[in-house]
Amino acid sequence: MGLAMRVLETEAAVEAQAAPVEIALRDVSVSYAVGNGKSKTVLSKLNLEILAGEFVAVLGETGCGKSTLLRMVLGQEFPTTGAIHVDGKQVTRIDARCGYVPQKYSLFPDRTMIQNVMYGPENAFCGWFGRLLPSYRKFRKRLRAEAEEQLLRMGLRAGDFNKYPHQLSGGMQQRVAIAQALMMKPPVLLMDEAFSALDPTTRASLQEQLRAIWQETRPTVLFVTHNTAEALLLGSRLLVLKPHREGSEESNVLLDMPLPQSSDPIAVREQSHEFLELREYVKRQAYGASSRSKQDFTEQETDESGDSL
Amino acid sequence: MASIAVVGQFADIQGRPRKLWTQSLSWVLFLVGIFVYTQFSMVRHKENPEDRVVPSVSQLYHGIKGAVLEPAEEDDPLDDNATLAQRLMHSMLAKDTLSSGGRFFAALLLLIPAILLGLHMAVFPFAEAIFLRFTLFFDKIVALSLLPILFIAFGIGDWAKIMLMVIGVAPTLMLDTYNLAKAVPREQVVKAFTLKSSNVDVAYRVVLKQILPQIINSVRLNLKPLALFLFAGEMIVSSDGLAYRIGIMRRHMGMDIIIPYILWVAVLLFGLDALLKFANRRLHPWA
Repeated sequence: MGLAMRVLETEAAVEAQAAPVEIALRDVSVSYAVGNGKSKTVLSKLNLEILAGEFVAVLGETGCGKSTLLRMVLGQEFPTTGAIHVDGKQVTRIDARCGYVPQKYSLFPDRTMIQNVMYGPENAFCGWFGRLLPSYRKFRKRLRAEAEEQLLRMGLRAGDFNKYPHQLSGGMQQRVAIAQALMMKPPVLLMDEAFSALDPTTRASLQEQLRAIWQETRPTVLFVTHNTAEALLLGSRLLVLKPHREGSEESNVLLDMPLPQSSDPIAVREQSHEFLELREYVKRQAYGASSRSKQDFTEQETDESGDSL
Repeated sequence: MASIAVVGQFADIQGRPRKLWTQSLSWVLFLVGIFVYTQFSMVRHKENPEDRVVPSVSQLYHGIKGAVLEPAEEDDPLDDNATLAQRLMHSMLAKDTLSSGGRFFAALLLLIPAILLGLHMAVFPFAEAIFLRFTLFFDKIVALSLLPILFIAFGIGDWAKIMLMVIGVAPTLMLDTYNLAKAVPREQVVKAFTLKSSNVDVAYRVVLKQILPQIINSVRLNLKPLALFLFAGEMIVSSDGLAYRIGIMRRHMGMDIIIPYILWVAVLLFGLDALLKFANRRLHPWA
């Protein structure tokens, strides 16, 4: 590990003292019944604390439980044992503490771009009967202005605001989905392979924008991805999970480390010596330690992320 | 060679008929039907000028005129100086159309709760637990077999016929709505909750709104079964209605009334279907 990594760890330690814990997982295990009275453990004895304002990129091969982890923080699934706390309260159902950007089906198809972005705040502040109040029109006008501002910040054009999701490209849809989630100003933003269906150019542009938004507003982000470079370039902390081995008592966390922070554009950082060194380090740690052959991992990385290590 | 090429076009999956061709071809079978009917009628009338089984165009004209402008046999006749509007309003066809239409739309209205129940079954797990198995079983009951029970429970008035239509079509619509609502991606429901939606918001503003165009299409597909149950009820016991009249006319071999009535029912259903299709397109441009 180079000097940069050591400096980063020190920075992270200082931050850790200042920021409160936003997401906490205590002894979390998840098992599924697979028939014949047997069960399969996906996550085992996971203990994790994510601080407010951290951008945690979660990497790992298929079946390691990274999406399960995200769904549990969201409240969509529940741990078999252990507990999860978000914003100081135990997660027992899906609620507005977490913003959510899935890989697809992220927008309501029956609403235009602007209506999608306004949907959350309208629910939060109006309810069913609030729409009948005389002040509603004024509120809606203000909300629309705010929504338009959010969409413009995401690089969308005003001429597209009244288009339906099916009239938008995949990249535009994901931009709107992020704007929609951010409108609620959630303390936690959960992104489940949000950019994995996009072409490399759109993906790079969205990464840059997400990074800028995170630096500006500092929500806590849990970002699940298959793409190693994306995880290293976006995150402030990297979490690599490994699949659980039956009968093992080990935790799924293979690697948990802070990541370098820089104000340079992602395209520049991607070419830097420090980034290449870090990627090599993660590769050695994550995949060198696995029981699977190196060839298998290379194939998987190439297949799923288009970003071979 | 040219004729082979033309025939070849009809068998070509990648063929692209021009708009004028498409429009013209869509009327061909109607014209063929009219031609075959008139030829058949002419042949029969040559043998027997009083033939009532395949009425001539003239007989059909008189039959339609009587149905559209004259009251039914069981009603009082109109004054000789009654206006055209009065004649139309009190005609046999208007009376039967209004009677059948009233029953038909009453049943359609009563199907709305069935659709909502299907939605609730898909969205609320406890509603699913209570209703799904029963609905699946109830769907297998042949609605017409319930007719005697319906006549006992609701009498021989309109309600028995309306309930027959509702019972016949409701389980299908409920299960269709259930399947449509279940097919809404889970991500949409999760996303809605993260945007501070209540349970009612998710059910009605997210799921129902998304599947409404498909529900309307399902209703369109069920218009004919609905009419079928209405006709079954009216033919068994009724004192008015389109199917009642067809049943009465059958006894008198009144094909000059039966054929126009059959076509009138088809036109009404075709019109209602087209109206729903149009409304669906206008109300849901995103679908």
